[in-house]
Amino acid sequence: MIDAPSSTWFTTNPHWQWYIVLYFFIGGLAGGCYFLAALIDHLGRVEDRPLARLGYYVAFPAVLLSGLLLTLDLSRPLRFWHMLIERNTFEPMFKAWSPMSIGSWALLAFGLFSFISFMGALAEEDRLRWPAFRRLQWPAFRTTRPPAVTGLIVAVLGGLAGLFVAGYTGVLLAVTNRPIWSDTPLLGMLFIVSAASTSTALLMLLAQRYGWRALPGVAALQRMDGLVLALELLVLAAVVVSLGSALRGWLNAWGALLLFGVIIPGLIVPLVLSWRQRRFTEASIATMAALVLIGGFLLRVVVIFSSETI
Amino acid sequence: MRESDCVVVMGSNMAENHPVAFRWPMAAKVEHGAKLIHVDPRFTRTSAVADIYAPVRAGSDIAFLGGLVNYVINSERWNRDPFFRSWVVNYTNAATLISDQYQDAEDRDGVFSGLMEYKAGVPEWPYNGFTQQYENASWQYAGTRVGDQGRTAATAQSGETPGTKSGMGTPGAPQPSGPPYDALVRSLLKPPAARDETLQNPRCVFQVVKRHFSRYTPEMVERASGCPRDTFLKVAETILANSGADRTTSFAYAVAWTQHTNGVQIIGCCALLQLLLGNFGRPGAGIMALRGHASIQGSTDVPTLYHSIHGYMAHPTALKKHDTLEDYLAAETVPTGYWGNMPKFVVSYLKSMYGDTATVENGFGYDWHPKIFGDHSHLPMFVAMNEGKVRGMFCIGQNPATSLNAKLERAAMRKLEWLVVKDNWVHETANFWKTAPEIQSGEVSPADIKTEVFFFPAAQVAETEGTFTNTQRMMQTHYKAAEAPGDCRTDVWFTYQLGKRLKKLYADSQAPRDQGFRNLTFDFEHEDPKERQIGEPSAVKLLKEMNGYQTADPSRHLAGFGELKDDGSTTCASWIYSGVFPAPDRNLAASKQPDPPGQPGAHLNWGFAWPANRRLLYNRASADPSGKPWSERKKWVWWDGSKWTGYDVPDFAGTKAPSAQPKPGGIGLDALSGTDAFIMKGDGVGWLYVPTGLVDGPLPTQYEPAESPIRNPLYKQQSSPVFKYWKQDGNPLASVADPNFPYVITTYRLTEHYLSGAMSRWLPALTELMPELFIEISPELAQEKGIANLDRVRISTPRGQIRAKALVTRRIRPLQIDGRTLHQVGMPWHWGYEGVVKGEIVNELTALVGDPNVTIHEGKAFVCNVEKG
Amino acid sequence: MAEPMGFYTDTTVCIGCKACEVACKEWNQLPATAGGANTMSGDSYDNTRRLDGIHWRHVKFIEQFPESRQDGRWLLMSDVCKHCVQAACLEVCPTGAIIRTEFDTVVIQSNTCNGCRDCIAACPFGVIDMNPVSGTAQKCTLCYDRLQNGLEPACSKACPTDSIQFGTISELRARAQKRVDQLHQTGENRAYLYGADEKMLGGLNSFYLLVDRPEVYGLPPEPKMPSRNLVPGSVYTVLGAIMVGLAGLFSFRDRTSSLGTGPGPEVRP
Ligand SMILES: Nc1nc2c(c(=O)[nH]1)N[C@H]1C(S)=C(S)[C@@H](COP(=O)(O)OP(=O)(O)OC[C@H]3O[C@@H](n4cnc5c(=O)[nH]c(N)nc54)[C@H](O)[C@@H]3O)O[C@H]1N2
Ligand SMILES: Nc1nc2c(c(=O)[nH]1)N[C@H]1C(S)=C(S)[C@@H](COP(=O)(O)OP(=O)(O)OC[C@H]3O[C@@H](n4cnc5c(=O)[nH]c(N)nc54)[C@H](O)[C@@H]3O)O[C@H]1N2
Ligand code: SF4
Ligand code: SF4
Ligand code: SF4
Ligand code: SF4
Ligand code: SF4
Ligand SMILES: [Mo]
Repeated sequence: MIDAPSSTWFTTNPHWQWYIVLYFFIGGLAGGCYFLAALIDHLGRVEDRPLARLGYYVAFPAVLLSGLLLTLDLSRPLRFWHMLIERNTFEPMFKAWSPMSIGSWALLAFGLFSFISFMGALAEEDRLRWPAFRRLQWPAFRTTRPPAVTGLIVAVLGGLAGLFVAGYTGVLLAVTNRPIWSDTPLLGMLFIVSAASTSTALLMLLAQRYGWRALPGVAALQRMDGLVLALELLVLAAVVVSLGSALRGWLNAWGALLLFGVIIPGLIVPLVLSWRQRRFTEASIATMAALVLIGGFLLRVVVIFSSETI
Repeated sequence: MRESDCVVVMGSNMAENHPVAFRWPMAAKVEHGAKLIHVDPRFTRTSAVADIYAPVRAGSDIAFLGGLVNYVINSERWNRDPFFRSWVVNYTNAATLISDQYQDAEDRDGVFSGLMEYKAGVPEWPYNGFTQQYENASWQYAGTRVGDQGRTAATAQSGETPGTKSGMGTPGAPQPSGPPYDALVRSLLKPPAARDETLQNPRCVFQVVKRHFSRYTPEMVERASGCPRDTFLKVAETILANSGADRTTSFAYAVAWTQHTNGVQIIGCCALLQLLLGNFGRPGAGIMALRGHASIQGSTDVPTLYHSIHGYMAHPTALKKHDTLEDYLAAETVPTGYWGNMPKFVVSYLKSMYGDTATVENGFGYDWHPKIFGDHSHLPMFVAMNEGKVRGMFCIGQNPATSLNAKLERAAMRKLEWLVVKDNWVHETANFWKTAPEIQSGEVSPADIKTEVFFFPAAQVAETEGTFTNTQRMMQTHYKAAEAPGDCRTDVWFTYQLGKRLKKLYADSQAPRDQGFRNLTFDFEHEDPKERQIGEPSAVKLLKEMNGYQTADPSRHLAGFGELKDDGSTTCASWIYSGVFPAPDRNLAASKQPDPPGQPGAHLNWGFAWPANRRLLYNRASADPSGKPWSERKKWVWWDGSKWTGYDVPDFAGTKAPSAQPKPGGIGLDALSGTDAFIMKGDGVGWLYVPTGLVDGPLPTQYEPAESPIRNPLYKQQSSPVFKYWKQDGNPLASVADPNFPYVITTYRLTEHYLSGAMSRWLPALTELMPELFIEISPELAQEKGIANLDRVRISTPRGQIRAKALVTRRIRPLQIDGRTLHQVGMPWHWGYEGVVKGEIVNELTALVGDPNVTIHEGKAFVCNVEKG
Repeated sequence: MAEPMGFYTDTTVCIGCKACEVACKEWNQLPATAGGANTMSGDSYDNTRRLDGIHWRHVKFIEQFPESRQDGRWLLMSDVCKHCVQAACLEVCPTGAIIRTEFDTVVIQSNTCNGCRDCIAACPFGVIDMNPVSGTAQKCTLCYDRLQNGLEPACSKACPTDSIQFGTISELRARAQKRVDQLHQTGENRAYLYGADEKMLGGLNSFYLLVDRPEVYGLPPEPKMPSRNLVPGSVYTVLGAIMVGLAGLFSFRDRTSSLGTGPGPEVRP
């Protein structure tokens, strides 16, 4: 204690563990995939539309799962609603300066958008078989897809909400007094970039499973992943620098895991792969995507547990 | 203590064991920068807030205190400052000459004149624990005889063999009888001892004391106690600098001074020092005997002690000439000083015992009163029990299965026919037949234990109405906060009901020995019908009995012991408490008005402090011989020209002028002069030198504990020549410097636990704070023994072996004794085999040895070995 | 609001008796570690180790003894929630369970807390933790219930040496400064006040007199508000978002064209 590198070393760990790690990862994917889907909806070719729908198909279940994980992590899960409504006054509970408070609202909003888009996608593919849907929603839902204006708006707002959900978690960690987390302001940036890289990787992986290699969007995703990975590497470097003396928290097993579980296999190797061959082989895409996903997951493991164990 | 300029805590860990009382030393520190000194083998939580911490070897206190005495007597300041001279000459026996028969330990290498084989005692009770005793005639003041100066000890003293009379008077000569007993008392008068006010006479107390302590030099202190010379000198200088006309130093001790085979002498040595420094009867001065249990003070005042009756009067004994009331009074009354009134106390006490049946004719029922015939204190009783001499025991509020020489005491209890345990918990003693170590190990099988155990659930203190008397002799009423659950009853209920039933049992017995029970007045029926119905006696009536009343009209309470008569017209159980309940509607123990803050005062309206609500005893000494305060800063009680007045109730004859001379032929206070501040003493002065009352010497002398790793550095005599030891299997002693037991071990308490743990080890909020038994050892010893922090270690003594976790800490330090390194270890002793947390029993290690005066065991210093595993 | 109330803790008169710790437990009916069957820590006399959901007071024991034992010290200190004027825990709490009372103290409403544990991570002093029984985050309430009934907090009431002093902040600060001066005069120059002035989180309503560096007592030398990272953190995150956005634009740039219409080719996941 006496030679603590930073005042953050005198605090108690909040016991945020696997639920939170998973939430950060899956929440990131949800936000990221929706964002990509929205991107494709706007910039993509008509052939890419399945890719976009894929994004929405991933986003909604993922955000549901996220909410579930968050609730399960509460010591009093049945009080999850206290996050949104003040328990004694029953007025809305919103603290603009508390990331967790905004985050809860953001998750709610994003949940809504991703639900709409999810249904929209289903509608577009004419998958809403049940008579109920047929009669009412489905014409409505159709309008939630581009080129309908409502569709555009939903996609834009949803995309932004998605990005928020993907990124606020890093800010939430920073807005504490825990070692590492609050010793750098860059975690939000790191998470958002990593969310992008993992999401692109996931979509690529799925796209490939369905044998859509022909789709122009896939190639674009590949290019994007390359860029984002490079970006992520830079941001991570910046994080390390910004930690300063608090870096002590990573001069241990966690640091090793970061290097040999995240940086090398999860960032550098995929980067090299993506630069080496412009034209991807089946296998290399799979490995690259898989590595990125694993790396992205481990990144969150390291960030959370390296502080939790102090 | 709040008034002290220097507080010396020695022989106690006051902060940890008396935290609430400790607020006053801390207040003195914060309010006027008083110095706090702690002398202790371990660096404790008291040391943590002390200005000076002096490490010592357990068992070396007299060397240290003797060193202080020697330092003071030879210091430039003490010999220059007129205050000390005047105080010592007028208020102590420094000037008194001692019999030329007397030979000091100085001349006989550690023993005093008069040592002889133990003769006292009766064959029926071979458990007094003595092998030798002192014939103390040679210790007396020049020209006086044993008993002239005061009461003699109960179980060992020349002239105390049955039949012969202690004190004066020849057998056969007709005893002047009373009441009134004035004639008898007057017949005991002796010419006062010779004095030399110049203190030059080599036989005067001062010179004897000076010689006696001459070898207690700072170098010797360091050799014997291991306390670095400069630390010792710093302590000495601080104490001296904070004593005098306008500064006072107080001492606080507890059982680290008593639990030794020379414990009384340690305390005596401190008294001697404080008398030399004029630190008695003055604000911020004195010696605080920090009592243990709540109201343990009360239980010695209205005694659970075997050897005295209420108010510190000797218990009638078969070992002295106590055959009749007159004999008893003749043997026990000191004609001069306030004790000259003892006949009034005794008769009033007997009236309270036997009421109307106590008459002049039957000596107020004196014959019915039980007599003791030896040492019936805890240790001898258990030895007797172990030899099958005791058939049954009431264990009320004790846990002997763990608290003293545990293994032996459990063995003793196995020999009982019946055992009544009345406690809040089914503790180690209640289950000694079921879960004790020897049972668990299969060594003893419950089937072979014939003892029938009865358990009575006890009410807690908060479920009881009554009073506490604290260390300061202050009695305070406490009220019932809650009803006791179920069958739980108060202890006074138990005693009362038992007494009533026994009276019934003896109601029509004609046997002489049963007359005591038959005539005992025992009527304390509760006012409240609800309480009466469950048989709870009335605390108010009990208090009234203690306070005393006019026999003719019990509704007229006594205003104080001044009203006591020796003709039976007054009834009073405990003279010292007389005045606490002066009128049926005035219970001073219940008064709770503090003095307004800021102004000097004694808070006389807060509770009642015996005697006569005096807060400082002998406070006449707070004024100089002429009656003026010694200084403005330390004024307390003074002579205003016509009477004694001040902040406190003067502890002196109210209107006796400072210049007053003793009345020729006067008894009681009349025999004392206007400067004789120590009114309870026959000669009216404080005793530097103790001619009578102690069985192990008139002056404190450094003796080694019964077990010590070193030879006595001061004398050839290793330990007290008269300490008590009982030869029992399971009670061997290690020989001096026994290589198998090279370390000094001491045992003590933790704030977090209470004694045997029965009051703390059942309470999770406390047990989580100190869950496990441990032994504190220095890193140095730990390294020597390859012991790491929290390792399990084995601690062994000639008596037994236990395991505990190691707490390795630099708060414990190796000492340099006589040029070689000596290791000390320490263990708290709060654990046992019942409760929320359990642990082994430290008292499996202690020896069955005792102080010769008071028979307390030596739990504070013995030897052991420590091994890993 | 009534005058701000709080604690001044003079560690130089603490005797480590733990009466405060126990009084707090008793008054607030808190459970004990392992039902009392705790294990010894081996770290001096401290077996409860730290403040948490069931230890709202905690007494620290710091042994400072050189091998020579020269001027060894045993620092004793009773730690508790600082009731920060700028309270990190209150700031982040998403449910509003943490409130500031009329006594300017900080209290967690157990009926509102849902156990997200954000406050635990936020408190600069590591004061808060979960109470396994209530399943909510808990800490010292500065005896809100007692204060509301005009009673002194249980811990300070129990403290025999007045190491813990309760009162109005203004009065306590004056008293504390006097004590520091006294100690300086008597040669204890190391004495200073921790958290008595606004510089530290706007002032700690439970501040301390210490005689060594804060770290020695397990206190942060410079406690900060979590919100210090809010703006920079958000800015960088947005920056990240923009970069990701750009990366997207760049990657899809050559596919920019009229938005596809209709369901598109029937490729199905
Ligand atoms: N919390 C708590 N308070 C208690 C009690 C309790 O069990 N728990 N018990 C009560 C009772 S019954 C009593 S009698 C008192 C006892 O009160 P204390 O006498 O203060 O209690 P101890 O802890 O037995 O001993 C005090 C100190 O004596 C030191 N010591 C040991 N040997 C020697 C020696 O030879 N010389 C000197 N100078 N010091 C030595 C020990 O290191 C220890 O620190 O406490 C009472 N108060
Ligand atoms: N080695 C070693 N041994 C020692 C000591 C030491 O320092 N070292 N200290 C010695 C000293 S000073 C003492 S005082 C003794 C104490 O030794 P004990 O007196 O034998 O031990 P306690 O735990 O005080 O036992 C008190 C019992 O009274 C019960 N009790 C509490 N309140 C009530 C009540 O109102 N009514 C009844 N009926 N029971 C009640 C408690 O539950 C407990 O069982 O130990 C001595 N033993
Ligand atoms: S236990 Fe009772 S007697 Fe002992 S210190 Fe506490 S209050 Fe005083
Ligand atoms: S100390 Fe921690 S818990 Fe207490 S008020 Fe400050 S931030 Fe909140
Ligand atoms: S754990 Fe409870 S008190 Fe703490 S931040 Fe979450 S809701 Fe608020
Ligand atoms: S103020 Fe009350 S709640 Fe806070 S520590 Fe003290 S006793 Fe416990
Ligand atoms: S009660 Fe007071 S003295 Fe005891 S530990 Fe607590 S703060 Fe220190
Ligand atoms: Mo005791």
